[in-house]
Amino acid sequence: MIAVSGLRFRYAGSERPALDGLDLSIGAGEFVGVVGANGAGKSTLCYTLTGYIPHFYAGTLEGDVLVAGHEVRRTPVSELASDAGLVFHNPFNQISGARYTVLEEVAFGLENLGLDPDAMRQQAHAALLATGLADLAGRSPFTLSGGEQQRLAVAAVMAMQPRVLVLDEPTSQLDPAGTRAIFEVLRSLARTRQTTIVITEHKLGWLASFVDRLLVLHDGQLVADGAPRQVLSEAATQPWGVGATNYTRAALEARQRGLLPSAGDLLPVTLEQALETLR
Amino acid sequence: MSEPVRRPSAIEALHPLTKLALMLAAVVAGAALPTIPAVLGVFVLLLVPLAVAGGCLRPFLRTCLRVLTPFLISLLLIQGFFTPGPTVLLRLGPFRYTLEGLLVGLLFSARLLVGMGAATLLMLVTRPDALMRGLVERGLPNQIAYIVITALQIVPTFQARARSILDAQRSRGLETEGPLTVRLRAFAPLVGPLILSSLMQIEERAIALEARAFNRPGRRTSLVALHDTRAQGLLRWALLAAALALVAARLVLWRTA
Repeated sequence: MIAVSGLRFRYAGSERPALDGLDLSIGAGEFVGVVGANGAGKSTLCYTLTGYIPHFYAGTLEGDVLVAGHEVRRTPVSELASDAGLVFHNPFNQISGARYTVLEEVAFGLENLGLDPDAMRQQAHAALLATGLADLAGRSPFTLSGGEQQRLAVAAVMAMQPRVLVLDEPTSQLDPAGTRAIFEVLRSLARTRQTTIVITEHKLGWLASFVDRLLVLHDGQLVADGAPRQVLSEAATQPWGVGATNYTRAALEARQRGLLPSAGDLLPVTLEQALETLR
Repeated sequence: MSEPVRRPSAIEALHPLTKLALMLAAVVAGAALPTIPAVLGVFVLLLVPLAVAGGCLRPFLRTCLRVLTPFLISLLLIQGFFTPGPTVLLRLGPFRYTLEGLLVGLLFSARLLVGMGAATLLMLVTRPDALMRGLVERGLPNQIAYIVITALQIVPTFQARARSILDAQRSRGLETEGPLTVRLRAFAPLVGPLILSSLMQIEERAIALEARAFNRPGRRTSLVALHDTRAQGLLRWALLAAALALVAARLVLWRTA
Protein backbone atom coordinates (compact mmCIF):
# COMPACT_ATOMS: atom_id res chain seq x y z
CA MET A 1 0.00 0.00 0.00
CA ILE A 2 2.92 2.32 0.74
CA ALA A 3 6.27 1.89 -0.98
CA VAL A 4 9.03 4.39 -0.31
CA SER A 5 12.51 4.04 -1.74
CA GLY A 6 15.51 6.32 -1.47
CA LEU A 7 13.35 9.12 -0.07
CA ARG A 8 15.33 12.23 0.67
CA PHE A 9 13.77 15.65 1.24
CA ARG A 10 15.35 18.95 2.14
CA TYR A 11 13.19 22.00 2.85
CA ALA A 12 14.08 25.09 0.82
CA GLY A 13 16.61 27.15 2.75
CA SER A 14 17.55 24.30 5.08
CA GLU A 15 21.09 22.96 5.27
CA ARG A 16 20.35 19.36 6.20
CA PRO A 17 17.69 17.01 4.82
CA ALA A 18 14.57 16.45 6.91
CA LEU A 19 14.34 12.93 5.51
CA ASP A 20 17.55 11.21 4.52
CA GLY A 21 17.44 8.03 2.45
CA LEU A 22 14.28 6.30 3.66
CA ASP A 23 13.30 2.88 2.35
CA LEU A 24 9.98 1.66 3.60
CA SER A 25 7.19 -0.69 2.71
CA ILE A 26 3.83 -0.86 4.50
CA GLY A 27 1.11 -3.34 3.61
CA ALA A 28 -2.68 -3.00 3.51
CA GLY A 29 -4.27 -3.07 6.96
CA GLU A 30 -1.02 -2.45 8.83
CA PHE A 31 -1.20 -0.15 11.85
CA VAL A 32 2.20 1.53 12.02
CA GLY A 33 3.48 3.97 14.61
CA VAL A 34 6.28 6.46 13.97
CA VAL A 35 8.29 7.88 16.85
CA GLY A 36 11.29 10.13 17.12
CA ALA A 37 12.51 13.30 18.78
CA ASN A 38 11.28 16.70 17.64
CA GLY A 39 12.83 17.47 14.26
CA ALA A 40 13.44 13.81 13.48
CA GLY A 41 11.31 14.04 10.33
CA LYS A 42 7.99 12.55 11.51
CA SER A 43 5.75 15.34 10.22
CA THR A 44 7.76 15.56 7.00
CA LEU A 45 7.14 11.86 6.43
CA CYS A 46 3.40 12.40 7.02
CA TYR A 47 3.32 15.28 4.53
CA THR A 48 5.23 13.24 1.98
CA LEU A 49 2.94 10.23 2.25
CA THR A 50 -0.08 12.45 1.58
CA GLY A 51 1.46 14.51 -1.22
CA TYR A 52 1.74 17.85 0.63
CA ILE A 53 5.41 17.40 -0.09
CA PRO A 54 6.30 18.28 -2.80
CA HIS A 55 3.03 20.01 -3.82
CA PHE A 56 2.79 22.58 -0.99
CA TYR A 57 6.16 22.67 0.71
CA ALA A 58 9.11 23.94 -1.29
CA GLY A 59 12.23 21.83 -1.23
CA THR A 60 14.19 19.12 -2.99
CA LEU A 61 12.61 15.69 -3.14
CA GLU A 62 14.51 12.61 -4.27
CA GLY A 63 13.40 9.00 -4.43
CA ASP A 64 10.05 7.37 -5.08
CA VAL A 65 6.91 7.50 -2.96
CA LEU A 66 4.02 5.29 -4.02
CA VAL A 67 0.85 5.50 -1.92
CA ALA A 68 -2.29 3.50 -2.74
CA GLY A 69 -1.08 3.17 -6.31
CA HIS A 70 -0.39 6.89 -6.73
CA GLU A 71 3.04 8.32 -7.32
CA VAL A 72 2.63 11.30 -4.99
CA ARG A 73 4.86 13.56 -7.03
CA ARG A 74 2.52 13.27 -10.01
CA THR A 75 -0.82 13.17 -8.20
CA PRO A 76 -2.59 16.37 -7.10
CA VAL A 77 -3.33 16.38 -3.36
CA SER A 78 -7.06 16.87 -3.92
CA GLU A 79 -7.07 13.70 -6.03
CA LEU A 80 -4.89 11.76 -3.61
CA ALA A 81 -7.19 12.82 -0.75
CA SER A 82 -9.79 10.20 -1.61
CA ASP A 83 -7.16 7.47 -1.08
CA ALA A 84 -4.80 8.98 1.47
CA GLY A 85 -6.13 11.16 4.31
CA LEU A 86 -4.11 13.32 6.68
CA VAL A 87 -4.98 14.47 10.18
CA PHE A 88 -2.52 16.92 11.60
CA HIS A 89 -2.00 17.98 15.15
CA ASN A 90 -3.65 21.41 15.19
CA PRO A 91 -7.36 20.56 15.10
CA PHE A 92 -8.62 24.15 14.99
CA ASN A 93 -7.01 24.81 11.63
CA GLN A 94 -8.58 21.67 10.18
CA ILE A 95 -12.09 23.01 10.60
CA SER A 96 -13.21 24.03 7.14
CA GLY A 97 -15.03 27.14 8.36
CA ALA A 98 -17.61 26.54 5.66
CA ARG A 99 -20.09 24.46 7.62
CA TYR A 100 -22.21 25.32 10.63
CA THR A 101 -22.59 22.00 12.45
CA VAL A 102 -20.32 19.12 13.39
CA LEU A 103 -22.29 16.74 11.17
CA GLU A 104 -22.00 19.06 8.18
CA GLU A 105 -18.32 19.56 8.90
CA VAL A 106 -17.71 15.81 8.78
CA ALA A 107 -19.71 15.60 5.56
CA PHE A 108 -17.75 18.45 3.93
CA GLY A 109 -15.09 16.16 2.45
CA LEU A 110 -17.74 13.70 1.30
CA GLU A 111 -19.58 16.51 -0.50
CA ASN A 112 -16.36 17.33 -2.33
CA LEU A 113 -16.02 13.67 -3.31
CA GLY A 114 -19.52 13.81 -4.78
CA LEU A 115 -21.07 11.10 -2.61
CA ASP A 116 -24.76 10.35 -2.67
CA PRO A 117 -26.47 12.19 0.28
CA ASP A 118 -27.71 8.97 1.89
CA ALA A 119 -24.28 7.36 1.77
CA MET A 120 -22.79 10.63 2.96
CA ARG A 121 -25.09 10.79 5.98
CA GLN A 122 -24.36 7.16 6.81
CA GLN A 123 -20.57 7.57 6.60
CA ALA A 124 -20.60 10.84 8.53
CA HIS A 125 -22.73 9.35 11.32
CA ALA A 126 -20.51 6.28 11.50
CA ALA A 127 -17.43 8.49 11.87
CA LEU A 128 -19.12 10.58 14.55
CA LEU A 129 -20.17 7.47 16.46
CA ALA A 130 -16.69 5.99 16.23
CA THR A 131 -15.09 9.14 17.59
CA GLY A 132 -17.70 9.70 20.30
CA LEU A 133 -19.06 12.88 18.76
CA ALA A 134 -22.56 11.70 17.85
CA ASP A 135 -24.13 13.74 20.65
CA LEU A 136 -22.45 16.89 19.36
CA ALA A 137 -23.60 16.51 15.75
CA GLY A 138 -25.71 19.67 15.86
CA ARG A 139 -23.13 21.90 17.57
CA SER A 140 -20.98 24.49 15.83
CA PRO A 141 -17.44 23.13 15.30
CA PHE A 142 -16.02 26.36 16.70
CA THR A 143 -17.73 25.87 20.07
CA LEU A 144 -16.08 22.49 20.72
CA SER A 145 -13.23 22.03 23.17
CA GLY A 146 -9.72 21.34 21.88
CA GLY A 147 -10.09 17.62 22.48
CA GLU A 148 -13.47 17.52 20.76
CA GLN A 149 -12.07 19.43 17.81
CA GLN A 150 -9.25 16.92 17.60
CA ARG A 151 -11.75 14.07 17.47
CA LEU A 152 -13.70 16.03 14.86
CA ALA A 153 -10.56 16.32 12.72
CA VAL A 154 -10.11 12.55 12.91
CA ALA A 155 -13.80 11.94 12.16
CA ALA A 156 -13.78 14.30 9.17
CA VAL A 157 -10.93 12.46 7.47
CA MET A 158 -12.07 9.02 8.63
CA ALA A 159 -15.50 9.59 7.09
CA MET A 160 -13.86 9.84 3.67
CA GLN A 161 -12.76 6.21 4.13
CA PRO A 162 -9.29 6.58 2.63
CA ARG A 163 -7.26 3.42 2.02
CA VAL A 164 -4.33 5.06 3.79
CA LEU A 165 -4.83 7.21 6.88
CA VAL A 166 -1.89 9.28 8.11
CA LEU A 167 -2.17 10.98 11.49
CA ASP A 168 0.38 13.44 12.85
CA GLU A 169 0.05 13.51 16.65
CA PRO A 170 -3.74 13.26 16.56
CA THR A 171 -4.17 12.79 20.30
CA SER A 172 -1.98 15.64 21.56
CA GLN A 173 -4.97 17.41 23.15
CA LEU A 174 -6.88 14.33 24.27
CA ASP A 175 -7.26 12.89 27.75
CA PRO A 176 -6.55 9.17 28.32
CA ALA A 177 -10.15 8.16 27.58
CA GLY A 178 -10.20 10.16 24.35
CA THR A 179 -6.80 8.81 23.35
CA ARG A 180 -7.93 5.23 23.95
CA ALA A 181 -11.08 5.83 21.90
CA ILE A 182 -9.05 7.13 18.94
CA PHE A 183 -6.56 4.26 19.10
CA GLU A 184 -9.37 1.71 19.29
CA VAL A 185 -11.10 3.24 16.29
CA LEU A 186 -7.88 3.22 14.31
CA ARG A 187 -7.15 -0.39 15.17
CA SER A 188 -10.68 -1.33 14.20
CA LEU A 189 -10.28 0.47 10.84
CA ALA A 190 -7.07 -1.43 10.19
CA ARG A 191 -8.62 -4.78 11.14
CA THR A 192 -12.06 -4.50 9.55
CA ARG A 193 -11.50 -2.28 6.53
CA GLN A 194 -7.87 -3.07 5.89
CA THR A 195 -7.08 0.65 6.14
CA THR A 196 -3.38 1.28 6.33
CA ILE A 197 -2.71 3.53 9.32
CA VAL A 198 0.45 5.53 9.91
CA ILE A 199 0.47 7.50 13.14
CA THR A 200 3.14 9.68 14.70
CA GLU A 201 2.93 9.96 18.48
CA HIS A 202 4.91 10.75 21.59
CA LYS A 203 2.59 8.66 23.79
CA LEU A 204 4.70 5.51 23.71
CA GLY A 205 2.48 3.48 26.01
CA TRP A 206 -0.48 3.77 23.68
CA LEU A 207 1.62 2.95 20.64
CA ALA A 208 3.08 -0.09 22.38
CA SER A 209 -0.41 -1.37 23.17
CA PHE A 210 -2.04 -0.77 19.82
CA VAL A 211 0.22 -0.64 16.78
CA ASP A 212 1.47 -3.65 14.84
CA ARG A 213 4.76 -2.12 13.94
CA LEU A 214 6.87 0.79 15.09
CA LEU A 215 9.35 2.93 13.17
CA VAL A 216 11.94 5.19 14.75
CA LEU A 217 13.18 8.24 12.89
CA HIS A 218 16.37 9.93 14.00
CA ASP A 219 17.83 12.89 12.11
CA GLY A 220 15.72 12.01 9.10
CA GLN A 221 16.85 8.40 8.97
CA LEU A 222 14.98 5.22 9.74
CA VAL A 223 16.99 3.71 12.59
CA ALA A 224 14.59 1.05 13.84
CA ASP A 225 11.65 -0.84 12.36
CA GLY A 226 9.92 -3.75 14.00
CA ALA A 227 7.51 -4.95 16.66
CA PRO A 228 6.71 -2.23 19.24
CA ARG A 229 8.28 -4.03 22.17
CA GLN A 230 11.45 -4.82 20.31
CA VAL A 231 11.80 -1.27 18.98
CA LEU A 232 10.97 0.53 22.22
CA SER A 233 13.17 -1.79 24.22
CA GLU A 234 16.07 -0.91 21.95
CA ALA A 235 15.17 2.78 21.78
CA ALA A 236 15.33 3.06 25.59
CA THR A 237 19.09 2.59 25.47
CA GLN A 238 19.82 4.54 22.30
CA PRO A 239 20.44 8.30 21.90
CA TRP A 240 17.44 8.73 19.60
CA GLY A 241 15.45 10.99 21.90
CA VAL A 242 12.45 8.67 21.81
CA GLY A 243 12.25 8.16 25.56
CA ALA A 244 10.78 5.12 27.27
CA THR A 245 7.59 4.11 29.01
CA ASN A 246 7.53 4.07 32.82
CA TYR A 247 7.61 0.25 32.72
CA THR A 248 10.71 0.25 30.55
CA ARG A 249 12.42 2.82 32.77
CA ALA A 250 11.57 0.80 35.87
CA ALA A 251 12.91 -2.36 34.26
CA LEU A 252 16.13 -0.60 33.25
CA GLU A 253 16.57 0.67 36.80
CA ALA A 254 15.88 -2.82 38.15
CA ARG A 255 18.51 -4.24 35.83
CA GLN A 256 21.06 -1.71 37.00
CA ARG A 257 20.34 -2.64 40.63
CA GLY A 258 20.61 -6.31 39.84
CA LEU A 259 16.93 -7.02 40.48
CA LEU A 260 16.42 -8.28 36.92
CA PRO A 261 18.73 -10.25 34.63
CA SER A 262 21.00 -7.70 32.93
CA ALA A 263 20.69 -9.01 29.37
CA GLY A 264 18.75 -11.36 27.19
CA ASP A 265 15.02 -10.68 27.42
CA LEU A 266 13.41 -7.62 25.88
CA LEU A 267 12.49 -4.80 28.23
CA PRO A 268 8.79 -4.47 29.04
CA VAL A 269 6.99 -1.48 27.51
CA THR A 270 3.43 -2.07 28.74
CA LEU A 271 1.90 -2.96 32.10
CA GLU A 272 1.10 -6.48 30.93
CA GLN A 273 4.66 -7.03 29.80
CA ALA A 274 6.00 -5.64 33.09
CA LEU A 275 3.81 -8.01 35.09
CA GLU A 276 4.93 -10.88 32.90
CA THR A 277 8.57 -9.94 33.51
CA LEU A 278 8.02 -9.92 37.28
CA ARG A 279 6.53 -13.42 37.12
CA MET B 1 -24.27 40.18 12.25
CA SER B 2 -27.38 38.62 13.76
CA GLU B 3 -27.58 34.85 14.17
CA PRO B 4 -29.97 33.08 11.80
CA VAL B 5 -33.33 32.16 13.30
CA ARG B 6 -33.27 28.44 14.00
CA ARG B 7 -36.91 27.56 14.43
CA PRO B 8 -38.63 26.51 11.21
CA SER B 9 -40.95 29.04 9.65
CA ALA B 10 -42.74 29.60 6.38
CA ILE B 11 -40.02 31.94 5.21
CA GLU B 12 -37.21 29.65 6.31
CA ALA B 13 -38.74 26.84 4.29
CA LEU B 14 -38.36 28.85 1.10
CA HIS B 15 -35.46 28.16 -1.23
CA PRO B 16 -32.62 30.57 -0.34
CA LEU B 17 -32.63 32.04 -3.85
CA THR B 18 -36.33 32.86 -3.46
CA LYS B 19 -35.53 34.71 -0.24
CA LEU B 20 -32.64 36.46 -1.96
CA ALA B 21 -34.93 37.45 -4.86
CA LEU B 22 -37.53 38.82 -2.43
CA MET B 23 -34.97 40.92 -0.62
CA LEU B 24 -33.33 42.18 -3.82
CA ALA B 25 -36.76 43.13 -5.18
CA ALA B 26 -37.42 45.05 -1.98
CA VAL B 27 -34.09 46.89 -2.31
CA VAL B 28 -34.79 47.78 -5.95
CA ALA B 29 -38.30 48.94 -5.06
CA GLY B 30 -36.96 51.08 -2.22
CA ALA B 31 -34.42 52.69 -4.52
CA ALA B 32 -36.81 53.18 -7.44
CA LEU B 33 -40.00 54.42 -5.82
CA PRO B 34 -40.13 58.23 -5.78
CA THR B 35 -41.94 59.15 -2.56
CA ILE B 36 -41.39 58.61 1.15
CA PRO B 37 -44.77 56.88 1.75
CA ALA B 38 -44.14 54.54 -1.20
CA VAL B 39 -40.68 53.58 0.06
CA LEU B 40 -41.93 53.13 3.61
CA GLY B 41 -44.75 51.05 2.13
CA VAL B 42 -42.16 48.53 0.92
CA PHE B 43 -40.87 48.24 4.46
CA VAL B 44 -44.25 48.04 6.14
CA LEU B 45 -46.14 45.98 3.56
CA LEU B 46 -43.38 43.62 2.42
CA LEU B 47 -40.50 43.36 4.89
CA VAL B 48 -42.47 43.54 8.14
CA PRO B 49 -44.96 40.81 7.10
CA LEU B 50 -42.03 38.66 5.93
CA ALA B 51 -40.35 39.15 9.31
CA VAL B 52 -43.61 38.17 11.04
CA ALA B 53 -43.85 35.06 8.87
CA GLY B 54 -40.20 34.32 9.64
CA GLY B 55 -40.86 34.57 13.38
CA CYS B 56 -38.17 37.20 13.80
CA LEU B 57 -40.05 40.50 13.98
CA ARG B 58 -38.44 41.69 17.22
CA PRO B 59 -34.79 41.07 16.30
CA PHE B 60 -35.54 42.45 12.84
CA LEU B 61 -36.97 45.72 14.15
CA ARG B 62 -34.34 45.99 16.89
CA THR B 63 -31.48 45.60 14.40
CA CYS B 64 -33.07 48.07 11.96
CA LEU B 65 -33.53 50.63 14.72
CA ARG B 66 -30.00 50.26 16.06
CA VAL B 67 -28.34 50.56 12.69
CA LEU B 68 -30.62 53.19 11.22
CA THR B 69 -30.64 55.68 14.12
CA PRO B 70 -27.13 57.15 13.65
CA PHE B 71 -27.62 57.30 9.87
CA LEU B 72 -31.04 58.92 10.29
CA ILE B 73 -29.68 61.64 12.56
CA SER B 74 -26.72 62.45 10.34
CA LEU B 75 -28.78 62.35 7.13
CA LEU B 76 -31.44 64.64 8.55
CA LEU B 77 -28.83 67.09 9.81
CA ILE B 78 -26.67 67.13 6.70
CA GLN B 79 -29.50 67.19 4.15
CA GLY B 80 -31.53 69.67 6.21
CA PHE B 81 -28.72 72.19 6.48
CA PHE B 82 -27.07 71.69 3.10
CA THR B 83 -30.02 71.23 0.73
CA PRO B 84 -31.14 74.64 -0.48
CA GLY B 85 -34.84 75.47 -0.53
CA PRO B 86 -37.32 78.27 -0.01
CA THR B 87 -39.01 76.86 3.12
CA VAL B 88 -36.74 77.57 6.09
CA LEU B 89 -37.71 75.70 9.23
CA LEU B 90 -34.82 76.74 11.47
CA ARG B 91 -31.98 79.27 11.53
CA LEU B 92 -28.74 78.62 13.40
CA GLY B 93 -26.47 81.62 12.83
CA PRO B 94 -25.55 81.56 9.14
CA PHE B 95 -27.09 78.09 8.64
CA ARG B 96 -30.63 77.44 7.48
CA TYR B 97 -32.49 74.17 7.95
CA THR B 98 -34.94 73.71 5.06
CA LEU B 99 -38.10 71.65 4.65
CA GLU B 100 -36.80 70.45 1.28
CA GLY B 101 -33.61 69.18 2.95
CA LEU B 102 -35.64 67.45 5.64
CA LEU B 103 -37.71 65.64 2.99
CA VAL B 104 -34.61 64.57 1.07
CA GLY B 105 -33.09 63.30 4.32
CA LEU B 106 -36.26 61.38 5.11
CA LEU B 107 -36.39 59.85 1.63
CA PHE B 108 -32.74 58.73 1.85
CA SER B 109 -33.35 57.36 5.34
CA ALA B 110 -36.41 55.44 4.14
CA ARG B 111 -34.41 53.93 1.29
CA LEU B 112 -31.63 53.03 3.69
CA LEU B 113 -34.18 51.45 6.02
CA VAL B 114 -35.51 49.26 3.22
CA GLY B 115 -32.05 48.24 1.97
CA MET B 116 -30.70 47.53 5.41
CA GLY B 117 -33.91 45.87 6.52
CA ALA B 118 -33.85 43.53 3.52
CA ALA B 119 -30.24 42.54 4.24
CA THR B 120 -31.00 42.01 7.93
CA LEU B 121 -34.06 39.94 7.21
CA LEU B 122 -32.18 37.82 4.70
CA MET B 123 -29.52 37.08 7.32
CA LEU B 124 -32.16 36.31 9.95
CA VAL B 125 -34.06 33.76 7.87
CA THR B 126 -31.30 32.28 5.72
CA ARG B 127 -28.20 30.38 6.66
CA PRO B 128 -25.31 31.79 4.63
CA ASP B 129 -24.10 28.32 3.67
CA ALA B 130 -27.55 27.43 2.31
CA LEU B 131 -27.62 30.65 0.30
CA MET B 132 -24.16 29.97 -1.07
CA ARG B 133 -25.10 26.37 -1.87
CA GLY B 134 -28.07 27.69 -3.83
CA LEU B 135 -25.79 30.06 -5.74
CA VAL B 136 -23.19 27.32 -6.36
CA GLU B 137 -25.95 25.17 -7.84
CA ARG B 138 -26.64 28.07 -10.22
CA GLY B 139 -23.00 28.31 -11.28
CA LEU B 140 -21.23 30.39 -8.65
CA PRO B 141 -17.64 29.04 -8.27
CA ASN B 142 -17.26 26.95 -5.13
CA GLN B 143 -14.17 28.91 -4.11
CA ILE B 144 -16.08 32.22 -4.05
CA ALA B 145 -18.86 30.67 -1.99
CA TYR B 146 -16.27 29.38 0.46
CA ILE B 147 -14.70 32.83 0.83
CA VAL B 148 -18.08 34.44 1.55
CA ILE B 149 -19.08 31.85 4.16
CA THR B 150 -15.76 31.86 5.97
CA ALA B 151 -15.71 35.67 5.96
CA LEU B 152 -19.04 35.58 7.82
CA GLN B 153 -17.73 33.04 10.32
CA ILE B 154 -14.32 34.56 10.83
CA VAL B 155 -15.31 37.37 13.19
CA PRO B 156 -15.93 35.25 16.33
CA THR B 157 -12.85 33.18 15.50
CA PHE B 158 -10.79 36.33 15.18
CA GLN B 159 -12.16 37.66 18.47
CA ALA B 160 -11.32 34.41 20.28
CA ARG B 161 -7.77 34.49 18.91
CA ALA B 162 -7.38 38.15 19.93
CA ARG B 163 -8.58 37.31 23.46
CA SER B 164 -6.06 34.49 23.85
CA ILE B 165 -3.21 36.69 22.55
CA LEU B 166 -4.30 39.46 24.91
CA ASP B 167 -4.30 37.03 27.84
CA ALA B 168 -0.87 35.76 26.85
CA GLN B 169 0.49 39.32 26.71
CA ARG B 170 -1.14 40.22 30.03
CA SER B 171 0.44 37.18 31.66
CA ARG B 172 3.79 38.63 30.62
CA GLY B 173 3.02 41.92 32.31
CA LEU B 174 1.55 43.98 29.47
CA GLU B 175 -0.70 46.78 30.77
CA THR B 176 -3.98 46.78 28.86
CA GLU B 177 -6.24 48.74 31.21
CA GLY B 178 -6.19 52.42 32.04
CA PRO B 179 -5.91 55.66 30.09
CA LEU B 180 -5.98 55.82 26.30
CA THR B 181 -2.19 56.09 25.99
CA VAL B 182 -1.75 52.82 27.91
CA ARG B 183 -4.33 51.08 25.72
CA LEU B 184 -2.69 52.39 22.56
CA ARG B 185 0.68 51.07 23.74
CA ALA B 186 -0.92 47.64 24.22
CA PHE B 187 -2.24 47.70 20.66
CA ALA B 188 0.99 46.80 18.83
CA PRO B 189 1.82 43.67 20.90
CA LEU B 190 -1.73 42.49 20.19
CA VAL B 191 -1.99 43.24 16.50
CA GLY B 192 1.39 41.83 15.44
CA PRO B 193 0.84 38.28 16.74
CA LEU B 194 -2.80 38.41 15.67
CA ILE B 195 -1.93 39.11 12.04
CA LEU B 196 1.00 36.68 11.96
CA SER B 197 -0.96 33.85 13.56
CA SER B 198 -3.90 34.49 11.24
CA LEU B 199 -1.65 34.28 8.19
CA MET B 200 -0.17 31.01 9.44
CA GLN B 201 -3.67 29.73 10.14
CA ILE B 202 -4.74 30.54 6.60
CA GLU B 203 -1.88 28.49 5.16
CA GLU B 204 -2.64 25.50 7.36
CA ARG B 205 -6.34 25.72 6.65
CA ALA B 206 -5.68 25.80 2.92
CA ILE B 207 -3.72 22.58 3.32
CA ALA B 208 -6.50 21.05 5.42
CA LEU B 209 -9.01 21.91 2.70
CA GLU B 210 -6.94 19.99 0.18
CA ALA B 211 -7.06 16.98 2.51
CA ARG B 212 -10.84 17.21 2.23
CA ALA B 213 -10.67 17.20 -1.59
CA PHE B 214 -11.86 20.81 -1.81
CA ASN B 215 -10.26 21.46 -5.20
CA ARG B 216 -11.02 18.03 -6.61
CA PRO B 217 -12.49 18.39 -10.09
CA GLY B 218 -15.83 16.74 -10.77
CA ARG B 219 -19.34 16.63 -9.39
CA ARG B 220 -20.10 17.85 -5.86
CA THR B 221 -23.06 16.85 -3.78
CA SER B 222 -24.65 18.27 -0.66
CA LEU B 223 -25.63 16.71 2.64
CA VAL B 224 -28.62 19.02 2.95
CA ALA B 225 -30.75 19.18 -0.17
CA LEU B 226 -32.31 22.53 -0.97
CA HIS B 227 -36.03 22.28 -1.52
CA ASP B 228 -37.29 24.15 -4.54
CA THR B 229 -40.66 24.21 -6.29
CA ARG B 230 -41.99 25.31 -9.64
CA ALA B 231 -44.08 27.98 -7.92
CA GLN B 232 -40.98 29.43 -6.30
CA GLY B 233 -39.20 29.45 -9.64
CA LEU B 234 -42.11 31.40 -11.14
CA LEU B 235 -42.10 33.76 -8.16
CA ARG B 236 -38.42 34.49 -8.71
CA TRP B 237 -39.03 35.29 -12.38
CA ALA B 238 -41.97 37.51 -11.40
CA LEU B 239 -39.84 39.36 -8.86
CA LEU B 240 -37.12 39.87 -11.47
CA ALA B 241 -39.71 41.26 -13.90
CA ALA B 242 -41.15 43.56 -11.23
CA ALA B 243 -37.69 44.82 -10.34
CA LEU B 244 -36.90 45.53 -13.99
CA ALA B 245 -40.25 47.31 -14.39
CA LEU B 246 -39.50 49.48 -11.36
CA VAL B 247 -36.06 50.37 -12.71
CA ALA B 248 -37.65 51.27 -16.06
CA ALA B 249 -40.31 53.36 -14.36
CA ARG B 250 -37.64 55.10 -12.36
CA LEU B 251 -35.69 55.93 -15.50
CA VAL B 252 -38.72 56.98 -17.56
CA LEU B 253 -41.53 58.13 -15.29
CA TRP B 254 -39.87 59.29 -12.06
CA ARG B 255 -36.65 60.79 -13.41
CA THR B 256 -36.90 63.94 -11.37
CA ALA B 257 -37.90 62.29 -8.09
